[in-house]
Order: sequence, then structure tokens, then C-alpha cells
Amino acid sequence: MKRILIDVDRCSGCRQCEMVCSFNKEDAFGSSFSRITVMKEDNFGLDLPIVCWHCHPCKAMENCPSEALERSKDGLVFSKEEKCVGCGKCLETCIIGAIRLHPERNTPLICNHCGGKPLCVQECPTKALTYMETETQQPKLPNQIIKETLRRWKIIV
Amino acid sequence: MSEYYGYAGKILRINLTRNKVKIHHIEKELITAFLGGRGFNSKTLYHEVPKHVKPLSPQNRLMFATGPLVGTTFPLGARFNVSAKSPLTGILGDSNAGGHFAAEMKFAGYDQIIIEGKSPKPAYIFIRDQEIQINDADHLVGKDVYETTETIKKDLGERSVQVATVGPAAENRVLYAGIFANLARPAARTGMGTVMASKNLKAIALKGTSSIKIADPKRFWKIVQEIKEETYVHPQYWPRRLMGTTRILMLADRLGILPTRHFTSGTFEHAAKVSGERLAREYNVKNRACFACIVPCSRIYVIKEGEYAGLYGEGPEYEALSCFTARVGNSNLNLALRAVDLANKVGLDAITTAECIAWAMELYEKRELSKKETDGLELQWGDGEAILALIEKIAYRKGFGDLLADGVKKAAEKLGKGKEIALHVKGLEIIQADPRGLKGYGLGYAVASRGADHLRSEPFIELSDDPKKGMEMFGVPEATLRLAHEGKGKLVRYFENWCAIIDSLEVCKNLAENMELLPFNRAAEIAEAVTGFHFSKESMFEVGERVVNLERAYLVREGIRRRDDYLPQRFLKESLPNGNSKGSIFEMEPMLNEYYAQRGWDERGIPTDATLEKIGLVHVAQQLSRHVKNSPVKKKWSSRTPI
Repeated sequence: MKRILIDVDRCSGCRQCEMVCSFNKEDAFGSSFSRITVMKEDNFGLDLPIVCWHCHPCKAMENCPSEALERSKDGLVFSKEEKCVGCGKCLETCIIGAIRLHPERNTPLICNHCGGKPLCVQECPTKALTYMETETQQPKLPNQIIKETLRRWKIIV
Repeated sequence: MSEYYGYAGKILRINLTRNKVKIHHIEKELITAFLGGRGFNSKTLYHEVPKHVKPLSPQNRLMFATGPLVGTTFPLGARFNVSAKSPLTGILGDSNAGGHFAAEMKFAGYDQIIIEGKSPKPAYIFIRDQEIQINDADHLVGKDVYETTETIKKDLGERSVQVATVGPAAENRVLYAGIFANLARPAARTGMGTVMASKNLKAIALKGTSSIKIADPKRFWKIVQEIKEETYVHPQYWPRRLMGTTRILMLADRLGILPTRHFTSGTFEHAAKVSGERLAREYNVKNRACFACIVPCSRIYVIKEGEYAGLYGEGPEYEALSCFTARVGNSNLNLALRAVDLANKVGLDAITTAECIAWAMELYEKRELSKKETDGLELQWGDGEAILALIEKIAYRKGFGDLLADGVKKAAEKLGKGKEIALHVKGLEIIQADPRGLKGYGLGYAVASRGADHLRSEPFIELSDDPKKGMEMFGVPEATLRLAHEGKGKLVRYFENWCAIIDSLEVCKNLAENMELLPFNRAAEIAEAVTGFHFSKESMFEVGERVVNLERAYLVREGIRRRDDYLPQRFLKESLPNGNSKGSIFEMEPMLNEYYAQRGWDERGIPTDATLEKIGLVHVAQQLSRHVKNSPVKKKWSSRTPI
């Protein structure tokens, strides 16, 4: 299936993705309303966008006590808001920390690829995000990406 | 949610003496008259910090403000202004920084944060939306900028908080310490960090979860897409992305305006060795951007081999790089990177620090300073050991550094030597571009409201040396010739107004101004789309006019007159000895006369009543006429609604 892939060397950490996402989905600008989040480490200038990989299997789905997370026929994980109790178990168990709760509705915010044309990918100023076919079912973990990147940049922390 | 589109809608006032917090709603009149950011701050400064207030006293106000375009997808950066009465210059202090702090401030719900009073013990403020904590900062005292930021993030248990902090230099009351956000994003000029430290305030940490709504999303999106398209094909896009502002170093060298060895030369023979080009080729590993900006012009460098191998960090930008290379005669790039890193860590303004060092070096060269006076340091041009030692000495006010820590003007007065080569205007040290080869910039330094600084006007169009543009824009072909002095009054007035609205909208001058992506008409359009209030090209120009004149009125009240609007004698008497601006000197009088006339100020540099009335500053005019002796008494004031 198609997934949003990340090139950490290209990401400038500008958070345009967060802004276009919240604007598109909520008609307002606010990073806490975005489905994509840029993890920023100013110490060594690393910026890493985190967005749902729609893993197969999905840990958050397995652990949801109210079975509010389901998978669509395209393979995308989504939440059934009427079933959600807002316990936050999904954000604790997601392996890359891609889920968070809507600040007002208290239900999980999960990327749905904007129905096949992700706006964040389209608007990314440095093309750090791409929308591509991949059969890798589990994403690389953020810690591993950071370690590898710093080694490549020859930064010793 | 805010009452007004584009704004967070609230002004937060924290009194540290009484440990009290007040929240006000912003008013429509404030928005339409001043837009935000620098405009808001200058207005507050004028009304709340009168003449008798001492800069480092609890009565001074420290203000952070941001603008209506911040915290949206608007792609030209997101900045904030910090203002207060400056301890370095004693007049208007103001500095501006990018990064991600400004947007977080909006998401937390505030357009302006005003700090009053003085905390009884070291403290830092943590703001999470409506929740405001004044936390103990005993454990942060003496910690550098990097350590403080890291400790606060750990204390709060959240990596995504935005921290603006001061370093040890501010705590030791060095008069030109800055406030550092995102580690390397300083609001460094005019000693705003020193004011913050004088309030016993070590840092402000922010986390916001609310959102910003705008009035006309469709129109906004259309303008943003237009700007994006123009940006990606702009000839400056790639140079800026590769080198940021460091690309200017070689350009300045070619034009003969690269201040070398304390402005005794306009070219630096080792320029290529310390250039942005070399940084890009050999040091940089990636780019970074400010919030929502589409030109990632900041770079992460890593020193891969040689001296200081393993050092890494963000930046440097042109000013800091050029200051610690050409200005002090240093040709060792690794050393310059180390010096910038050190200045950042201790929290100093790189420009002023380098001016103080270069000034001392010139005195040492002329044998007016002896080794005994400099604590045994050999202040030879480019001496790495001396440069690093002096930064440290200044930050901790040790030995000779104690003298330099008051800025070059006061240092020269105290030492009783080197007054004529102390390069400052109104007490603020001059930046890294020689005014003799850039006359419009020079006039900008002379009249800028915060002292010798280019960011109040930055008439970059001069660099084109294209008389057609001068003819088109100002009816004077010389206005856009960098070595001519005619028409510069018109030029600087226009660009000052432009910069004032860019600072008030809080976007980036590199893009909005230098790349000409936000001219007056587009600024009006975007402000209209975001706020829903009506703006036109003319009303935008008027906002700029208002901000500049209000700041001037503030200066006049503080006693600033024509005599303070002069560049240092070096630029008026000594011509440039080499390079492509060879033989040029700065013609102060005619340029100042033209500028005052263009501004509607009298020959003393005081805005006339008519000038102030025209832009709605009637109260200011009335107050000013009471303050200024010999001003003609006027009885009838215009009936236009006062602002």
C-alpha cells in the first residue's frame, strides 16, 4: 500500500505539514490539531516528522480497550469516534508515537492520507515527505533513525 | 478562541514583584493602527516607560510580541520582537528573532507578553495556555543557554516546549546580552537579555494547544500559493538555501564594503577561506527553517577535521560569521565557528562583542593599549586565543572584559581613549557593512530608532546599482546607486516604513523584503485575508509611518536630537583605502537634511505637530510639545480620532 515516507536529511523542521494538516482537517491552524508532528531536537538540529505508518499489525489497535480502532479496506487504521472512550491507550502503545488526542474532542488524531492525496506531502517545501508504494509493514523506530542520522552527519553526542 | 481573526486575542501581563498575572483582550483600534509585533511593543514602551525609568530597574517593561501572520501556513517566517528600554543605549531597545517560539506563543493564546517588576529570587516562567507558573530557577543560575534550555525541558518533562533564555552574560549584567530561543535564535541586540536578567527572570518556557482562525481562508490560501510559486523560482532561493545570509560575505568583499580589521579596509584578503561558500561545501550537513518558512536558510554545521573537530551547531549567519572573521582580522574558519558558538552559549550579542574586541585590537595596534591593561593578552589581529579569552572575560566581567562589557561607547569614555574610533550610533555598535560603500544603509544606521542597525531600513535595492529603479520608485536615479548620496532620504523613508510593517506582521525581512515577496500591496491583501479588517497599500504605508514616528517621538522624549544622528567620524573623514568602493566617504549633512524633510521632521530631528497629527498621533504631538522647549505653541488640534 501507499505510505508517507520521510527523508530526515531533507526535513527542515518548518512544520508546514502540521499547519496544512490542521487547516485542512479542522479549518484552523494549530499544531495540536495536526495528524503529523515534527519531532525537533535543537541540540543537533535534527527534525523528524512522525505520522501514522498504518502498521500491520497495529499495536494501538490491539491494545484499544473499546475496540474503537479499525482498519479500512485500503488498509488504513482509523478510529470510530462513537466507540472511543478517550483513555489514551493508543498513544501509549503506538510504536512510533504517531497518535495523539484531539485537544477538544479527546479522540485520537490519525492520518488518513487525505483520501489518497496527502496535503502535507504536496506542500512540503523541501520534499522531505513522499507518498509512495511500500510493502514494509513496520516503520523504522525514531530512536534508530536518530542514531543512524547522527552517525552519517558525524555528530557525536 | 480569539475574538479577532489572525490574533490569539490576548495580552498577558506578569508582575514579578507582586507575583500577579493579568490578561487583557486586544482592541480593534490597536490592530488597525499597529498590526502587531514591533508596533504593539513600541506603543507600550512609549506609554508605559517614561523618561525617568532606569533600564535595569523593576519599572522597566520587558515585552514579547508577535504578529497576525504567525502560527499559520504563511510561508515567510514567524518571528517575535522583544522590547524594553535598553541598558546599552539608554533609549529604545528592541530585537527580533525567528525560530519556533513566536508560533508557540500564539498557540498558547497570547499576542503580547509584558513582564513588569522584579522577582525576589531567580525564577523562570512556564506558560501552558491559561496556566501560568512562576517557577524557582535557583538550579539554573549561572548555567549557559544550552544547559538552561535542556534542564527546563527535562524539568517540565516535555521535549516540545519552546524556551527563550538568557545566559551567564546577562546574569553578570553585560549590557549587551541577548535572549536566546531554540538555542541559536537570539534576540540579541540592545541588551534585552540584560533587562530580563535584571528582573531575576532566567527563562520563559511555552507550550500552547489552541489554534488560530483566519477571516478569509480561500483568499489566504490563494495568496500563499502565489508566494510559494514565486519563491521556488526566485534567483535567491538556492543561494539562500545553501548558504543563508553567509552568502553576503563574498558579495560584500567584491563590493569593497566588507568591514575588515575594524573598518580600516573594505576587503579581506582571506574572505574566500571564511566564506559561506566554504561553509556550504565543507561543513554543512543539513538545513533548518523557522516556523512554517519555505526557505530553509539556517544550516547545521559540523567541524569534521582540524581544530575544534567535533564541534557542531546551528548557523552562523552573516553578521556573526563576518564579525568574528573579517572584523577582527581572523582567517581561521574553525576558530570563528568556535567563537560564535561560545558567544551563543554565554548569551552575548555577536555584533557588539566583536566591535568591542576589534576596537581594543585597533587600540593595541596603535600602542594606545598595553599588554598590562589587557591582562597580558596580545591583542593582535586574528589572534584566536585572545578572541576566545575576551569573549569569556566579557561574559563574566573579568579583568579587561569588565571594561568591554559596557559596550564600546562607555568603554571609550571610561578608558579615556579611542573615543573617535568607537564605532556606534546612539550607543549601539555598528553592523558588518561599510556605510561608505552603501550610502542608503549608512543613512539607515544613522537614523534607526535603536541605534546603528540595518534592520530598521535595509534598502537592499541600492545593491542593484540600477538608476532606472531609482527613477521609477523615487524620481531620483541616484537613489538606487550605492555610492551616490542624493535621493537617500526618500529611499530610507520608504524602506523604514516597509520594515516597520514587516516587523509588525512579524515575518522575515530576508524573504518579505530582500526577496521582495511582501510589498505593501500584498501585505495589505494578506492582512485583510487574515484579520478581516480593511487594509490598503496606503494604510499599510501609514502604519509604517506611525510606528517609525512613534519610536522617534520616544527618542525625542529621551533627549535624542540631530547630534545623535551622526555616524562616527571615521566614516565622514577617512575614505575607504581599497576595494570597489575605494575613495568613498559618507556625506552626512545633505543626507540627514533630505531625510528629515522627507519625514516631516524639523531640522533638530523632531517630528512636527502636523506630521504626527496626520497619522493620528495627536496625543503624542501634544505630549512632545510639552517636552520640547522652544516648540511653537499650537492651540488647535485636529479632530481626527486619536490613536
